[in-house]
Amino acid sequence: MSLLTVEDVHTYYGKSHILEGVSLAVDRGEVVALVGRNGVGKTTTLRTIIQLSPPRSGRVTFDGRDLTGLDTHAVAQAGIGWIPEDRRIFDQLTVEENLRVALPPSTTIADGLSVAYETFPDLQEHQNRNGGDLSGGQQQMLAVARGLIGDNELLLIDEPSEGLAPLIVKRVSKALARAAKESTVLLVEQNLGLALDLADRFYVLDTGQIVDSGTTAGLSADSERFRRYVLA
Amino acid sequence: MIDQFVLVYADALGSFFTPEALFGVLIDGLAKASLYVMIASGLTLVFGLMGVLNFAHGSLTMFGAYLGGLVLVMTAGGSPTDPAALGGFFLGVVVVFGALGLLGGLLEWGLIRPIYDRPPLYQILLTFGLALILDEIARIVVMFYGIQPISSWQAALATKPAILGRTYDLGPTSVPGLDLFQIGFGLLTIGFIWAFLTQTRYGLYVRAGSQDAEMARALGIDVRRVFTVIFALGTGLAGVAGMLLAWDQSWGASVPLAAETLLPAFVVVIIGGLGTVRGTVVASVLVGMVDAMTTWWFNEAITFTGLPEMFLFLILVIVLAIKPQGFYGISEVGGH
Amino acid sequence: MALITREYARDHLIHLLVLAALAIYPAVYHVLTNGGAPTGMVALLPRVETMVAVLYFGLFAMSFDFISGYTGYLSFGHAAFYGTGAYFVVLVANGKVPLLAPETPFIWLLVLAGVLAAVLALVIGTFSFRLTGVYFAMITLGFAQVLYVFMRDWEYLGANPRDGIAVTGLTEGFRIGVPGVDSLSVAIGQLAGEPIDLFGSTLGASTVSYYAVGLVVVVCYIAMQRIIHSPFGRVMIAIRENEARARAIGYNTFYYKLGAFSMSAFFAGVAGGLFAGFRRSVTPENGYYFLVTGDALLASIIGGFGTLAGPLYGRLFDEGLREFLSKSGSGGGLLVFLRDSLGHPAMETVVIGGMTVGELVETFLNGHAPLYVGIVFVLFVLYVPNGMVGTVRDRLGGTCAKQLPAWLSDRLTAIVTAIRERVSGVRH
Repeated sequence: MSLLTVEDVHTYYGKSHILEGVSLAVDRGEVVALVGRNGVGKTTTLRTIIQLSPPRSGRVTFDGRDLTGLDTHAVAQAGIGWIPEDRRIFDQLTVEENLRVALPPSTTIADGLSVAYETFPDLQEHQNRNGGDLSGGQQQMLAVARGLIGDNELLLIDEPSEGLAPLIVKRVSKALARAAKESTVLLVEQNLGLALDLADRFYVLDTGQIVDSGTTAGLSADSERFRRYVLA
Repeated sequence: MIDQFVLVYADALGSFFTPEALFGVLIDGLAKASLYVMIASGLTLVFGLMGVLNFAHGSLTMFGAYLGGLVLVMTAGGSPTDPAALGGFFLGVVVVFGALGLLGGLLEWGLIRPIYDRPPLYQILLTFGLALILDEIARIVVMFYGIQPISSWQAALATKPAILGRTYDLGPTSVPGLDLFQIGFGLLTIGFIWAFLTQTRYGLYVRAGSQDAEMARALGIDVRRVFTVIFALGTGLAGVAGMLLAWDQSWGASVPLAAETLLPAFVVVIIGGLGTVRGTVVASVLVGMVDAMTTWWFNEAITFTGLPEMFLFLILVIVLAIKPQGFYGISEVGGH
Repeated sequence: MALITREYARDHLIHLLVLAALAIYPAVYHVLTNGGAPTGMVALLPRVETMVAVLYFGLFAMSFDFISGYTGYLSFGHAAFYGTGAYFVVLVANGKVPLLAPETPFIWLLVLAGVLAAVLALVIGTFSFRLTGVYFAMITLGFAQVLYVFMRDWEYLGANPRDGIAVTGLTEGFRIGVPGVDSLSVAIGQLAGEPIDLFGSTLGASTVSYYAVGLVVVVCYIAMQRIIHSPFGRVMIAIRENEARARAIGYNTFYYKLGAFSMSAFFAGVAGGLFAGFRRSVTPENGYYFLVTGDALLASIIGGFGTLAGPLYGRLFDEGLREFLSKSGSGGGLLVFLRDSLGHPAMETVVIGGMTVGELVETFLNGHAPLYVGIVFVLFVLYVPNGMVGTVRDRLGGTCAKQLPAWLSDRLTAIVTAIRERVSGVRH
């Protein structure tokens, strides 16, 4: 049984129909990429899964449990971490405080922090700086670290490479690879090369519907399969 | 005529710049600043996290003044001794904080929570209606017990202990004991809020939720429960502020105290920058000092009775005209 | 031509109906209170004097809605304009305003009160419209409160400015009508107003004031209504819906906001002038205090925010309830009704805690209308957020004036068809 299933969800923003019956599944331990052009509903799909934009119809299940209509904090507590596209670091909180917000009350603070600092030594160096003072790459590390220490089985990662210099993207993708080893990942990524590198399988989303899916094995970013819906 | 006028001002100016006068104004200003911090801090916490400008805040301060006054009258009424009055005061603080915190939590949970998905205007309107209801309930109850609702409740004022009623020689001038008590209590409150926000897990959640409630929820924080707790804390603080006012001759427990404290609280919170505790403290000191200074000038030279109160609102207008978001204000919370 | 007239009449059918209802109210009240109806009904009817207050304060509430409900900028210091209009009228009558004689015709005073308020709004607005949201509401509140404190303590105004000022320099009533022509104008006021004989019956001073004040309020309403439906009004609504877009299209929204603010202040000033003209006195508390604006907000929310006419009905509800629960009970009210219908023994019955029915009413109801107004207000915010007029609009799918006639004729046609079918069915 899949860890996460999304079954025929329809999501609206006000009157506009964003997701028109999206279905997908992610198995335990997999890294699945969700690709597609701008504005086709990739971010909304992730927001629908964590019930920040609850679907009007359809179902989301996680580990056999129906999440539809739950409060977002309950979804997060069930073991789903969200690393949003603009990273959403708490600017006025220090690096350490940003991490502590993400720690479940049951974990001891020292243990949680040491996991984050072992994975990202950079963060320890800046632990007392405000989140808003970090560089884009550091903020992305912090966002991933927040997802990792939250005791999550599934990470929803949205556009981690967006707005970062190529050199930084390399370091972030290393961090993501580490994250992928520890948990299941659903990754939204514009950078097809990066997405195919990390993912085992992929879905292509176009104007609110899944139009293609498959395994990434042997596929390259300029493959004919992406030409129509993703590239250009 | 003009000569005489100039003479009065020159005279006053001369006596203003003496150590006695300046020190007196400084202490008076700090005492007033403490009161402003007390009546505004709960409002700031609630606004910072929830974006709700609570119009019922003053009414809750008024409730606190009456309830605290009741505890004082029951423990130290008749012939107050210092230990009885001070003991009654701290017992009252606990009772008022608990009772008003509970009331605030219930109000948030029962009335405001159902309309969080609406524009912020509706939550503000709801608290406006609540203020009407609470004020009228207070009037009914107070009149039922034969107490005049318009003027200060004398029985509560009379419990002020002797050690706060006398003055103390301090540096160049003598200072009223109540001023020192208010300053101490104000500092204690700021310390309490600071410790809560920076040293507790809940305080961390509050700061995170104030900055980005959606992200906080996605990290597993039940932000709505945090809202309820903060609303309860804010109303508890409002009540304790009222308790502190019950001994102050120029305030005292009365039904109009609701509006009389609501407006200065608004001024302090707005010019400090909505929702920032630091801004509220700075604004309180500014407003307290200007209040003390204009009060001095009114007593010594200027015959216009409304001078301190007019300056209160002038500061609001001037600060907003120069810095549209207040001292530490960030971007707009909620649409117009 | 005939078609246009008919369409116009149809569009304004609801306006005409409301006008007609307002016009016959004094007669209806007179008939009912003189034994034409059970006391229970009379207890609910506001007196004609109260209706005058509903009219002038309703105008103020509508002017508040004009700026706040249509542009979305909450003018929380709107009392500044109402108070200025009221103080201006009383001060001129007392000879305290330079260049204006106490005998200046009241109609001119109303216009000048409006202009003064409009100029004040230009000053306040120039500073305030650089701000938005809560900050805008608060800076306007600040301006109004500065004026409140100033007028409360300025000794030039009268012997005891804290208790307000009353007309002392003038004994005759303020006249509404053609300025300077006594035969074409009437005096208003509870005592200073004059009864008139018309078609063989006498209209009392309150009734005369009611029609005279009502005339000014209706003219002001029509003016505001025309502005809302003009291109200018459409920009106001565009600012409320999406100011950035209105600016992107090329409107200088600052000047539109300032203009709308100034216009609304004009009507608020006129409302304040009417209030002072009728009551012949004003205090800082009922002129400038922030709770005066609060009352306008209350009326707007209950009646319908952004509906223009709604606040008038909201105020009617507010005043009606206040009078129903008033302490004096003169002219009806709950206490009189209970005494009459239950009889003395019932009122003396002990219910709980040794309190009689009469004492309970006295303790919890009489004079405590704000409690019940507050409860109704909270219920409106929770369950009827669009207010009375706004909710009817939503049901009909357009403004009441446009949709109600169509809705009525649809229902009528349906009923007529149903009857026809039944009749023809019977025949067969």
